[in-house]
Amino acid sequence: MTRGGPAIGPHAPSRKEEPYNNEMTPVWQGSARRRVHRMFVARAPRPVGISTFTYGSRINRSEFKLSCSISLEEKMWSHSTRRNNRLPRRILVIAALALVLITAAPAAAQTPTAPTTFKIAQSIDLNSLDPAGQTTVTVANMLQYVVETLYGLDQDGKIIPVLAKEMPDISTDGLTFTIKLRDGIKFHDGTPFNAAAVKANLERVLDKDTVSPGRAPYTVISQIDAVDASTVKFTLSKRSMTLTAALTWLVSGMVSPASIQKGSPAYKTVTQPVGTGPYAFKEFIKGTSFTVTKFADYWGKKPYYDTVVFSVIPEAATRESLLLAGQVDMMILPPASDIAALQKNSAVKVIMAPSNRAIFIAINNQKKPFDDVRVRQALNYAVNKEDIVKNVLIGAADILDSPMPSMVPSYCKAGAYAYDPAKAKQLLKDAGVAPGTQIKMNYPTGRFLMDAQAAQAIGAYFKEAGLEPVLNTMDWPSYIAMMTKPQAERTEDVHMFGWSSFYPDASGTMEPFQSSLWPPAGFATSFYKNAKTDELLTNGISIVDQKQRDDTYCQAQKQIWDDAAMVFLWNQRFPIVHSAKVQNIGYRPNETWYSLDAEPVK
Amino acid sequence: MLHYLAKRLIAALISLLGVTVIVFLLLHLLPGDPARLIAGMNATQDQVDRLRVQLGFDKPLGEQFVRYMTQLAHGDLGTSARTFQPVAGDIMARLPSTIQLALLSILLASIIGVLAGIIAARFPNSWLDYVISSATLFGMSMPVYWLGLMLIIIFAVQLHWLPGGGKEGPASIVLPAITLAAFSVALIARMTRSSMLEVLGQDYLRTARAKGLRENAVVYRHALKNAFIPVVTIIGLQLGMLLSGSVLTESVFGWPGIGLLLVDSIFARDYPVVQGIVLIFSTLFISLNILVDVTYAFLDPRIHYT
Repeated sequence: MTRGGPAIGPHAPSRKEEPYNNEMTPVWQGSARRRVHRMFVARAPRPVGISTFTYGSRINRSEFKLSCSISLEEKMWSHSTRRNNRLPRRILVIAALALVLITAAPAAAQTPTAPTTFKIAQSIDLNSLDPAGQTTVTVANMLQYVVETLYGLDQDGKIIPVLAKEMPDISTDGLTFTIKLRDGIKFHDGTPFNAAAVKANLERVLDKDTVSPGRAPYTVISQIDAVDASTVKFTLSKRSMTLTAALTWLVSGMVSPASIQKGSPAYKTVTQPVGTGPYAFKEFIKGTSFTVTKFADYWGKKPYYDTVVFSVIPEAATRESLLLAGQVDMMILPPASDIAALQKNSAVKVIMAPSNRAIFIAINNQKKPFDDVRVRQALNYAVNKEDIVKNVLIGAADILDSPMPSMVPSYCKAGAYAYDPAKAKQLLKDAGVAPGTQIKMNYPTGRFLMDAQAAQAIGAYFKEAGLEPVLNTMDWPSYIAMMTKPQAERTEDVHMFGWSSFYPDASGTMEPFQSSLWPPAGFATSFYKNAKTDELLTNGISIVDQKQRDDTYCQAQKQIWDDAAMVFLWNQRFPIVHSAKVQNIGYRPNETWYSLDAEPVK
Repeated sequence: MLHYLAKRLIAALISLLGVTVIVFLLLHLLPGDPARLIAGMNATQDQVDRLRVQLGFDKPLGEQFVRYMTQLAHGDLGTSARTFQPVAGDIMARLPSTIQLALLSILLASIIGVLAGIIAARFPNSWLDYVISSATLFGMSMPVYWLGLMLIIIFAVQLHWLPGGGKEGPASIVLPAITLAAFSVALIARMTRSSMLEVLGQDYLRTARAKGLRENAVVYRHALKNAFIPVVTIIGLQLGMLLSGSVLTESVFGWPGIGLLLVDSIFARDYPVVQGIVLIFSTLFISLNILVDVTYAFLDPRIHYT
C-alpha cells in the first residue's frame, strides 16, 4: 500500500526461520527476558520446539542495522519494557478524556447567545468585500448592511432615494443627472459623506486599475462634478435611462474616500469596507462567517440587533437544520423539496419572495426546424407549465406572461401559451416536422430551483407533442462555456436558460433578445433576431419620457412573445425562512432578503 | 537512514513536480472560462476580456505555465482569480480547520478502532466479535452524507445538544469529527482484528502464556506491538485522506475546510487556488507516507533503511 516503503512486515520471510522470533519483541529484553529465562530455561521442562531457544546468540542487534543509534534503541526498548503493560490503561484514560470532551460539548453548545445577535445562514462564501467588485446578488446583499448606495429598492422593487435626498433631476436631453444628497451623513470612520465622496467612489469604479467586472452600466458617465457639498452632477456620453436603477446596485456603493486612497492596495480591491450603513464591518473569517456590528451614528432608522452574523453554509439541508435547531434566526434557499414541510412547521415562517429571475427554454432560432415560428410556438404550447410549477417546483414560481418578469419597470403582459398538446402537434405538422424528430436539450443541475427535475418534465412534454427529446446536463462552468459558443458551433437545439439583472432594469432584462448580443458577445443564447425588436430595444434605453419608454418596451415584449423566441416558463421565487420568534423580515424582489427591521416577537 | 530519507525526499520532489504539471494541464483542459465565471453573466464581453488580461489567462498556455513555475520557485502560489487575494492566504485561512478536524477524527478513529479490533480479536467468533464486525461493516458502507445528516437531525435539531453546522466554538467540531471518523474506525477495527488474530496464533504468544503471563500482558504487551504495523499503515494513510479534507463532511456541516474550498474553486475555475491546494495535499500525503515508513523502524527493530 505504501509505495517505496520497507519490504518487511510482521510476517516477512526472515521470521519464519526463527521459531521464536523473540528478537521481534523488544519486551523480551531486560527483566521480562530474565523472567522468561527463569521460567523456561531454569525451571520448566522444555516443551517441544523450545529446544533451540537460546536468546543470547540469536539476538544479535547488529544484524538489524537499525539506523537509529543504539542508545536511542535502548531507550525505546526500556521504555516499552517499563510501560508496555500500562498501554491499555493509557488507552482507557484517553478514551475517558474523549468521552468527557464529547459529553461536555453539549454544555458548551447551550451557552445562550446574546439576545441582540441576529444570525443568518446563507449559501456562499464572500469572494469580495469590495462593493465595486460585486458579481453576485447574495454577497452584495450582505455588504448592503455596511455599504449604502445613492438609490435603493423598496419591497415592490420601486426605486427609492437612500443616500440621495430625492430622485435625480434629469435634463431634457437626458445627458445630465443632477442628484441632491442627504446632509449630515457620516461614514463609519467619522468622515463626512458628500458630493466629493460620490465623485471619488464612482471615479474609482470607472478606473481600470480597480477590479470591477460589473462597471459596465456606469461607463456612460463621462464626467462627475461635485457642484456643492450636497449636489453631484453626472454628465453622460450617451443617453442611458437605466442609470438611476444602476445606482441601486452595490457596485456603485459608497465607501469612505479616506479608506480607498489612490495608490493604496484598497484602491484596487477593498478588503475592509467602510460605508455609511446601519452596521459597520467587524470581521470576515474566510469560508465561515461575515460579522457586522451596529453603527451608533447611523443617519436612518437604527436596527434592533447589535450584531448580525452571516454564516457560510453551502449545503441547503444543513442551513435548514441550523434554523430548526435554533442555531440561526434566518436562512435563505432551503431544499426546494422541503418547502411544503417548512410551511406547515409552526416554529418557522416561510417567505416566498418574488424575484426577477426568469427561467426559459432557449430555442436556437437559427437552427432548422426551429427557425420556423410555428415550431417554436408548438414548443410553448406543448409544456404544461402550471403542472410543473405545482408539482415539481412546489409553487415556488410564477408563470411568465411576458419575456420580462412583472416587477421590472416597463413590464407589460404579452400573452399566454396555455398547455395544448393537440395544438402543438398540429403546429408541428403544419411546419412539416415529422413525429419522432430529435430535440437535443441541455440543462444545468442545481443552478436554478429544481432545474434538472423541471427539465426532465419538460422533455416528457416534448415527447408528448411527438418529438424525441435527448437530455444532457453538465456542471455550471461547462454550461456557461456551452452557452457562450457561437451559433456555428452549437450542437444542442434548446437549453434551459435563466436570466435576471442585478437591479430592476428593462434594458438589462431584455438583453437575451437582442441580436447584437448573440454569443460569444453576450447571452442572447437563442440566436433570436427580429429587426423590429432590435430597433425597439435599442431605442428604449434612450427615451427620456417614461410613458413613451414603457410603450416601446411593451411593443418589444409582445413581439418577442409572438415570435416565441424561447419557451417562456416561469419567474422563480426566492425562499427565505426565519424563526417564528422573530418578525418584520422582508425582501427586495431581486433575490435579496431584508432584515434591517427584524426584531423579536413580543 | 539519512541516505534513505534523502532518496525519499528527492523522489517526493519529482512526484510533486509531476503533480503540478498534470494538474496544470488538466485544469486548462476543462471547459469553462474563469473570467466569465467570475464576472458573471451580466458583465459585458469587454469587461470579461479585461478581467482575463488582469488575471493573466489571456496568455498562451506555455507562457502561463512558465510564469506559474517561476512563481512557485519563489515560494509564491499566485493570486486567486476569485478573491484577488494571495492563494497562500486563502489556503492558510482554511487549512487549520481541516487539520483540526482530521486530527480529532483520526484520534477518535484510532482509539475506538484499535480497542474494538482488539476486543473482537480476543473473543473471535463470539457474539461480541459479531457485533463489532457488523458495526464496522455498517460503518464502512454508510454514506458520510447520510450519517452526517442523521447526526445533525438527532443531536442538533432534536436534542439541541450540539451545533449542527458552521464553526462556532469547540463544540462545533464534534459531529463532523464523528462523521468523518466513522469510516476510519471501521477500517482500523477490521485491520486490527485480522492482524491481531494472526499474531495471537503465533508460537511466541503461546510461550508467553505458557510462562504464566496474564492474558492482558500477552495481548497488550506482546501481541499488540507486532500486530500494529499494518494498523499504523492504515492510520497513516487515513490521516492523509482526512487531511486532504473530506469534501462531503465539510459541505454537510459547512465546516470551513480546504475540501470545500477546493470544490468551490473547481466550480469557479479558480486555477491558481486549485493548483495550490493540490500541491499542498500532495505534499502532505507524501510526507505522511514517508513518516509512516519511518515509524515502522521504531515499531519493528528488524526494519532498516539503507
